[in-house]
Amino acid sequence: MTLELKRGEIHALVGNNGSGKSTLIKILAGVYAADPGGTIEIGGQRFDASRFTPEHAQKQGLHFVHQIPALFPMLSVAENMAIGRGFELAGPQRIDWKKQKERAQALIQRFHIHATPDAPVMFLEPADRTLVAIARALQDQEHEHHGVLFLADPTAALPGPEVERLLATLRRYASAGQTIVYVSHRLDEVLRATDRVSALRDGRHAGTVDTKGLDETKLIELILGQSVERAAASGAAHTEREPVLSVRNLRGGSMSSISFELGRGEIVGLAGLLGSGTSQILRTLFGAEPPVGGEVLLEGKPFAPLHPADAIAARVAYLPPDRTLEASFSALSVRTNLSATDVGRYFQGLRLRHDRERNEVLDAVKSFQIRTATDEQPLSTLSGGNQQKVVLARWLRDRQKVLLLDEPTQGVAAHARREIHGFLREAARAGTGLLVVSSDFEELVELCDRVLVVVEGRIAGEVRPPELDSHRLTELAHFTGAA
Amino acid sequence: MTEAVTSTVEKVEAPAQRKGLTARGVAFVALQRYGLLVLFVLTIAVFSALLPDSFATVLNFRNIAGNQAVLAIVSLAAIIPLICGHFDLSIGAVLGLTSVATAALFSKYAAPMWVAVPAGVAIGALIGLFNGLLIARLHVNALITTLGTATVLTGLVTLYTDGQSILTGIPALLTDLGSGTWLGIPCTLYFLGLVALFTWYLLEHTPFGRYLHAVGSNPIAARLVGLKVDRLVIQSFVVSGALVGFGGVLQVARQGSGNPQVGVFFLMPALSAAFLGATSIQPGRFNVPGTILAVFFLATSVSGLSLLGVDNWVEAIFNGTALVIAVALSTVLSRRQAGQS
Repeated sequence: MTLELKRGEIHALVGNNGSGKSTLIKILAGVYAADPGGTIEIGGQRFDASRFTPEHAQKQGLHFVHQIPALFPMLSVAENMAIGRGFELAGPQRIDWKKQKERAQALIQRFHIHATPDAPVMFLEPADRTLVAIARALQDQEHEHHGVLFLADPTAALPGPEVERLLATLRRYASAGQTIVYVSHRLDEVLRATDRVSALRDGRHAGTVDTKGLDETKLIELILGQSVERAAASGAAHTEREPVLSVRNLRGGSMSSISFELGRGEIVGLAGLLGSGTSQILRTLFGAEPPVGGEVLLEGKPFAPLHPADAIAARVAYLPPDRTLEASFSALSVRTNLSATDVGRYFQGLRLRHDRERNEVLDAVKSFQIRTATDEQPLSTLSGGNQQKVVLARWLRDRQKVLLLDEPTQGVAAHARREIHGFLREAARAGTGLLVVSSDFEELVELCDRVLVVVEGRIAGEVRPPELDSHRLTELAHFTGAA
Repeated sequence: MTEAVTSTVEKVEAPAQRKGLTARGVAFVALQRYGLLVLFVLTIAVFSALLPDSFATVLNFRNIAGNQAVLAIVSLAAIIPLICGHFDLSIGAVLGLTSVATAALFSKYAAPMWVAVPAGVAIGALIGLFNGLLIARLHVNALITTLGTATVLTGLVTLYTDGQSILTGIPALLTDLGSGTWLGIPCTLYFLGLVALFTWYLLEHTPFGRYLHAVGSNPIAARLVGLKVDRLVIQSFVVSGALVGFGGVLQVARQGSGNPQVGVFFLMPALSAAFLGATSIQPGRFNVPGTILAVFFLATSVSGLSLLGVDNWVEAIFNGTALVIAVALSTVLSRRQAGQS
């Protein structure tokens, strides 16, 4: 991996998930140690890459600002700028507020932030919050510009006009001599705002080119390493089977307008990049997030769940992407976890029939091949794959009309993944319609009958076999329609 | 030697529990479950040996049992919101308020039993509803909410009573119940039995109880399996408040008066018992038998110590120490179960 940055340029770093972008950044930040043999040279000084520490990075002026900047929302702009660096002091430990505010005011002007020193950061526009974090990182290198500013997906959480402002401000920093590395998967921004682009592919430097003269197709070719043909988005996302779910113009949050159909017994994938809105489609259909507009039909009847309980009652189930955070009751038993959603059916004759619950749980443990010593075991004692089978079995042991699955095999070992895919196909054969989101496009190709590609909150196209392969999905997922 | 120990332990364990556990593991689990029970029996044995004439008497045991019934009820009330993941610091103040209110209904308004007793329970439930609404709907921190409610209620009770107990007009029927015995066992203990049975049934044998455990374990996941988390939190405070209200009525029966200053003596011991209870019988989770065991363990220890001639301050130190140790132990236990050790 060889990468060279020029002073005062905005240099884009692009690549697919797993191409090595974040590893590279973490090595430069001194968080990970590189394998021996590499060197890092900054402004003429050489370092052994395997021994590069956070202190080195700090001293050499490498600054890192993340997608969600580490700010203190309740504290003022002036206070946020002082934390980590130190306040202006008037005595041994007394803060000189006048000097501190003057300092903050100077930074606000220099970094073009729309704010006053006293404003709490929580009341700032999102772009200004990012700028405050940038100003905090860069404040001590007044006119030298010897350092490098690394920005990781800085626009992922920003609305459109805010993105424009942030990019314009970054351009101004660069023309003043600041070197910026811009890590992003939004290709339109890369094309508009950067001077040069470096692409990473499978942990290698795949090439660096001037942004001028690039278009989206060429950029995607650089990322994928093969020529792409920009095919028109095919299909209107209709199903050939009897539809179980019809979605029309669903809007809200990152979804701008989503329309598609899901057939009975069909497995449909949703492929999209981070922030494209795929996860939100599932959450909205489940009633976990309110839609702004649109229409959903479940078996031809209007379906507008206000709470997950409404969706569950209509036999629409949802598997969240983060098991520990959103799906599992780690400290509770396997049994409690399995019947978390429908324990009410064992309440017969004014008491909970623990015996019946237990028998049915043991049946599920058997049929879903969950490896656990007993059903009384806390869920946390099981392996990741087995925990995932437990939270899936919650829904799969009954027939659902629709299953909404977000990353169904994340953090799961290979054999458990195969087993889980088997269970999902079985559910589809029994007539359930499955809607699957996965950042692993190979998984979608393996599992799905057809895949819808989601770009910026719209269905940009549909891919069916024999064209269905992960390169094709990556290609389509990157096209934003920008020139 | 080792084999003999484990084989007796295995008899205690359900056969299914044994699978996958080593003999040492089984012994460890048994020690966790029944450690407090063993400690309780040991405490009684030691004090009985030291004080055969004062501690080891029917009268003393009857006294402890009779006096602790109200505390045990308040402790059981405390575990319901705790299971849901929320502290209730107002239980002491609600106990004070409901006992004063019940006593006042008898004494100033000559209310009949069938009005005054349900009124005490209803007042408790109403305050629970108020706390629950603030916590679940407005997302105010439960510690702050209930601390605030407790302070206000204590002030209101002092305003109403001027700090004086309400002594007159309590029906003899009620006070006879409070101090009397049935079949040699204090009547208050029967009421504790009823409340314990009800709480145990609610927590272990209804879907509602199961839902509370789920909400306490992971409220985000609870919502995503279709539980109405807000409503469950509110209900947990209402049920808890009603139980404390019942405790307030029983306190009037036991003391024969409505004492406005009674609340402060209940909050800390109740929380100590709740957390100590969560380290035994079903370790790592608040449970009814564990809580009752903890109440009587604490009370017996304090009684023994004071009969030995130790001063009053020992009770505070003992309860406080027990609370800290119990909280630390139950935190470690539940964290281990959640797999975050």
